[in-house]
Amino acid sequence: MKLVLLFALLGLGTGALIAGIALGVVLTYRGSGIINLATGAVAMVAGYAFWSLKTGFFGFQLGTLPALAITLVVATGVGALMEVGAFRPLRTASPLAKLAASLGILLTAQAAMLLGFGTTVKAAPPILPSSAVAVVGLTVPVDRFILAGAVIVIAVGLAALYRWSRFGLATRAASENEVAAMLVGLSPNQLSMVNTLLASLVAGLMGVLAASLVQLNSTTLPLQIVPALAAALFARFTSFGIACAAGLLIGIAQSLMYYASTQSWFPTDQGNPLPGIQQLLVFLIIIIAMFWRGASLPGRGELVERRLPSVPLPERLLRSAVIAGVVCVVALIVFPYDFRQALITSLIGAIIVMSFVVITGYVGQISVVQLALSGVAGFTLSHLVTDAGIGFPLGPIIAVAVTTLLGVLVAVSALRVRGVSLAVVTLAAALAMEQFIFVNSTWGGGSGGSPAPSPHLFGVNLGPTASFRGLDGDQPSAVFGFLVLAVTLALGVYVANLRRTSLGRRMIAVRANERAAAAAGVHVRNVKLIAFGLSSFVAGVAGTLYAYNFGSISATRFSALTALGLIAFAYIGGITMVSGAVLAGLISTEALFPHAFDKWFGISGNWALLVGGLALIITLRVHPEGIAGANYQRKQRRRAAGRGSRLKAWSSRWRAEEPTATSEVKP
Amino acid sequence: MTGGERRILHTDGVSVSFGGVRALVDVDLDVHESQLVGLIGPNGAGKTTFIDAITGFVRCRGHIELDGHDLSSLPPHARAQLGLARTWQSIELFDDLTVRENLAVASHRQSVWAAVRETVSRPLASTTAMDETLALLGLEPLAEVLAIELSQANRKLVGVARALAAGPRLLCLDEPAAGLDSRERAELGRRLRSVVDAGTPTLLVDHDMGLVLSVCDHVVVLDFGKVIAHGPPSAVRRDSKVITAYLGSAAAELTDPSLESADEESRAGASEEP
Repeated sequence: MKLVLLFALLGLGTGALIAGIALGVVLTYRGSGIINLATGAVAMVAGYAFWSLKTGFFGFQLGTLPALAITLVVATGVGALMEVGAFRPLRTASPLAKLAASLGILLTAQAAMLLGFGTTVKAAPPILPSSAVAVVGLTVPVDRFILAGAVIVIAVGLAALYRWSRFGLATRAASENEVAAMLVGLSPNQLSMVNTLLASLVAGLMGVLAASLVQLNSTTLPLQIVPALAAALFARFTSFGIACAAGLLIGIAQSLMYYASTQSWFPTDQGNPLPGIQQLLVFLIIIIAMFWRGASLPGRGELVERRLPSVPLPERLLRSAVIAGVVCVVALIVFPYDFRQALITSLIGAIIVMSFVVITGYVGQISVVQLALSGVAGFTLSHLVTDAGIGFPLGPIIAVAVTTLLGVLVAVSALRVRGVSLAVVTLAAALAMEQFIFVNSTWGGGSGGSPAPSPHLFGVNLGPTASFRGLDGDQPSAVFGFLVLAVTLALGVYVANLRRTSLGRRMIAVRANERAAAAAGVHVRNVKLIAFGLSSFVAGVAGTLYAYNFGSISATRFSALTALGLIAFAYIGGITMVSGAVLAGLISTEALFPHAFDKWFGISGNWALLVGGLALIITLRVHPEGIAGANYQRKQRRRAAGRGSRLKAWSSRWRAEEPTATSEVKP
Repeated sequence: MTGGERRILHTDGVSVSFGGVRALVDVDLDVHESQLVGLIGPNGAGKTTFIDAITGFVRCRGHIELDGHDLSSLPPHARAQLGLARTWQSIELFDDLTVRENLAVASHRQSVWAAVRETVSRPLASTTAMDETLALLGLEPLAEVLAIELSQANRKLVGVARALAAGPRLLCLDEPAAGLDSRERAELGRRLRSVVDAGTPTLLVDHDMGLVLSVCDHVVVLDFGKVIAHGPPSAVRRDSKVITAYLGSAAAELTDPSLESADEESRAGASEEP
């Protein structure tokens, strides 16, 4: 019993970190209506800054206080950069665009730290006294109490600031109704800036103080945003007190879970305690918070210009498909093995992004869990072969069917949740699935991965080990490339054509306005369920191909951070178009573009991530429709200019092209 | 009332409460075949709430019947599929679809299997019904324009066209004339008349007494959630209760209020209840 108390008190350390990040999230939301996924990343940057100043990474060593002071300046600087570079230019953009921008910041910061400091975990220098105090007969490190005390003081201070200062009143007014606040002479830009700076300061401070308790690496700290979001949800992104308390409690609960996992009764996985319980706990807490506090976030009277990038009708679909197909076939044969591998990876990446095109592009729901669903398909495929001896083609069919079903089940439970809240829930779900299922060596692949032998059909090897291996004769085989290419083309034509079907129109109607769609006779719930099903189907297909691609499948490929990266690439390519998905596939991790840069210029994949994060922010600012969308609009304008008035160009073009488009799509 | 014809909409004791506020109290309202019925009343009288109630966007008590079908317990999309179409005061078009596609969404009748089949179905065939609707409202030149690029007046018309595209049994229009100038309003009135004469009974909610009294066959007046008068426009125009509700008791003492003054009053309070 005493040990339970001890672990509860030890949990105050992580709890304080979570609470600090949650306070940052609430501050930013109240200041600018942005759910800043990068709040944990700010803590990470501060942690690294402090570490390098203390240990002499930059060639000089500083004492604790000067290092802390400089670190806080750096954290505030990061806040200012975020505000000026991303949040301010996007202040009238849709909530989803804002969320995506903060994702861009998260990825950029993470990649920058990876490039600067590598992947090894740094031992953060302790800043707090390491002595211990006796509490009811237990020896508890005193730093836990200091941390918890610090975050409580900060929360009380913020609450007081918001309640009694003029700045607090102004921020509250602006978050109630931004337009009205502007009319009485408040500047939302200023308010937003101050709040973001405060948030960065708080997150940075907690990052430095708590970094010695958690690992200082480029994954752990940024992902503390997920439990912090759970705490912020309990606070309805409004109350500092609740956010702080919930953060501390989540830290305690996680610590108690850790204690439980050391007990003999705790379920084990091949001798080790079951992994991922803490992530599962956070996911469940978020679900509870959603149901208890309501799925919708407190709204703001904002000037929102346009909800989402437009969804143009695909043109000359079959022609593009044939050209892409021929180019890829030639490339698969003539490319050297590494480029062939990169091209195959690009194609699979394009498929997974197509699942985002359906669910996010067409229906407007950000679902981070799609990549995890791919993982489910991959692991199901692997286990069907290894445990039940069911191979190709029945194995992948069952795997994809299971994934589709799971996707629909996720959708049924997520129907009440939409927009930004859905992104938060699915992010937590993705993390929970990664840690709880995929890392598990019985259900998933453990640390080593789970095998997926090459597919054979009628005795012919279709996998990467097949005998026809292009001109240079190395693995992977071109045959597997052809298989992936055929699947990519089929799904690409299907998803693009979906935009032209009646179902596609209803999806976009739901995305534009659920209420009006219902009044027009659209069964909104069914459309969403079908969309989730289709998207999960596409994701499932990508998952089975991933499994075959590497001959085995492991958790890291389907991690939550990878999923966030893919969403970023999808936005850059153009999340509403299949051509955007293809572009996204080409620029995603390990795909053709990054590989070429690595090979020819020695620019590593982490640079690609860094550039990807920055490109996401720039894309959101300059071309919210993505590269493919911008390209489409340019063509559109050129046409319009060529034919006189724009209106005339619109109508005459479609009258001329509709019949050919119709005949092309005939199956 | 034109008694002999078929009754399309019949409501019996429709009541809506928001907390302690009774927004609608026992409203009985009938719309018959080929009738244009106007529902008018001052700000906050419950006109929009009545449309929300019959289309299923607000929970209500009472009985609602559409051409013999009981709607009372159906969700909004099911009522829409039975032929109850509506527009909103804040025109809610699907901005990323073209005008034609906006109409196509509404004209669609769905079933589970159709939905599955449709994931691979052929592109939109230009249906004659849709073209007729576009022609009726003079929207043909705009058919392929994205909804977000339309002018305010055209957005209103597309809203009406989308509601019509489903081939509804009853069309409910919520303030279609708000925000239009007087020329556009007269034009809208003519278009609405032709819609009704082409066979679609319509319930028209509007502030604009002038528009309602000039085009409607039958007028119902709401005030504080209750029906205070109904009858042909000529009778309602002279009803003292209506004049009191609209212009205050002082104005009621004037014997024959001109339409222009009522018109002005309505324009002064152009922003209605949400």
